[in-house]
Amino acid sequence: MPQVLNQSYDQLVEKAQALFWTQGFKGVNAKELAIHLDVSTSVIYNKFTKDMLFMGALGYYTSNYSDPFLKQLRETTEGLDSLKDFFYSLIDALLDKTFPKSCLMVNTVVEMRNANQEITDVYQRYFTTLTNSYKVVLDKAIGLGQIKYPEKKDSYAEFLLGVIFSMSILYKIHPKEELRAFIDEQLSFIE
Amino acid sequence: MRYKEYNTNSVLEKCIPIFWEKGFRGTSIQEIVEITGVNRFSLYHEFQNKEGILYNALKLYQKRYGKSKFEILKKKGNLAAVLQEFYVSFLQGKEKHQGCFYIHIGTELADEDPKIKELIREYLSSLESNLIERLLMEDDTKNNPDFYARHLVGLFCTSMSFCLIHSEKQKQHHIANGIKVILNKKFNYATSS
Repeated sequence: MPQVLNQSYDQLVEKAQALFWTQGFKGVNAKELAIHLDVSTSVIYNKFTKDMLFMGALGYYTSNYSDPFLKQLRETTEGLDSLKDFFYSLIDALLDKTFPKSCLMVNTVVEMRNANQEITDVYQRYFTTLTNSYKVVLDKAIGLGQIKYPEKKDSYAEFLLGVIFSMSILYKIHPKEELRAFIDEQLSFIE
Repeated sequence: MRYKEYNTNSVLEKCIPIFWEKGFRGTSIQEIVEITGVNRFSLYHEFQNKEGILYNALKLYQKRYGKSKFEILKKKGNLAAVLQEFYVSFLQGKEKHQGCFYIHIGTELADEDPKIKELIREYLSSLESNLIERLLMEDDTKNNPDFYARHLVGLFCTSMSFCLIHSEKQKQHHIANGIKVILNKKFNYATSS
């Protein structure tokens, strides 16, 4: 008799996301995924494949972690000070394991690169939102007179885009105070 | 005494691409046996476990590939151009092996494996020292080499991850922009007249 699933697809995606975040995509096989989700391996082979669940996990990450985080950033009013708060809270999330291992999107970039068009499309959307959010805050900083060279806004936004990547490595080897000092200095480049 | 029929480095050399492509967790000992042609018993005898193979593979990578790239920093010429060449040197060649093996493995394992964490720390600190040496040679940076080096290491981490999904043009642009933003920072010192 076929096994009846007592979990919704969304519940499975949520659980799968937690596993992919810490183990990556290639580091999880169908059997481990089935055990983690408490379903039989035939569910993974025939119904909800590892690929499907991974795409679901990236979607879950975007809507539950990065989107709310970035929405908050766009709504801030203090320009560069708000950016500093934003990066400080990123450091906290990385160190206190609210983000269990780095940023899932960064991990995926390093692990999967552009091997799959569907995933590449997800990056595209994610990085566009991130860049636009930085630009919104830089505009506010310009309005507040915090930036001497407003014509460099795009260059600064691109530079800031890199911060999430450098932090994703540096948090692994530096203590909180050094990471905060690093952020302060990074923001001092925006003149 | 049993005659050792293989060369340790040539075994490790074969392991680097497979760890790179499949990750540490995604690579089984069986696959390592198949790709190296060395049996499980001998592998364990030499390296203790799969982790031991990885640690030694990282060290070999630095010796054979990393070091020669670090040498680029010693080149004479415009600082920004030398830095650009240095970063880009990691992002050339076979697409799936572009980037830095240390950053790749560190992303996967540095949170849970203290030995990997230590290796990454040593690697980045050696990069920082090499950068400082170069920055001391330039009038614009010699007074604050630690500051610039710290942020150029940050840019290294960014380039070895973010640029993996960039086109050739995008990666050149992203790196050049990063170098420019960092080197544009000027420190004003009060001068006595």
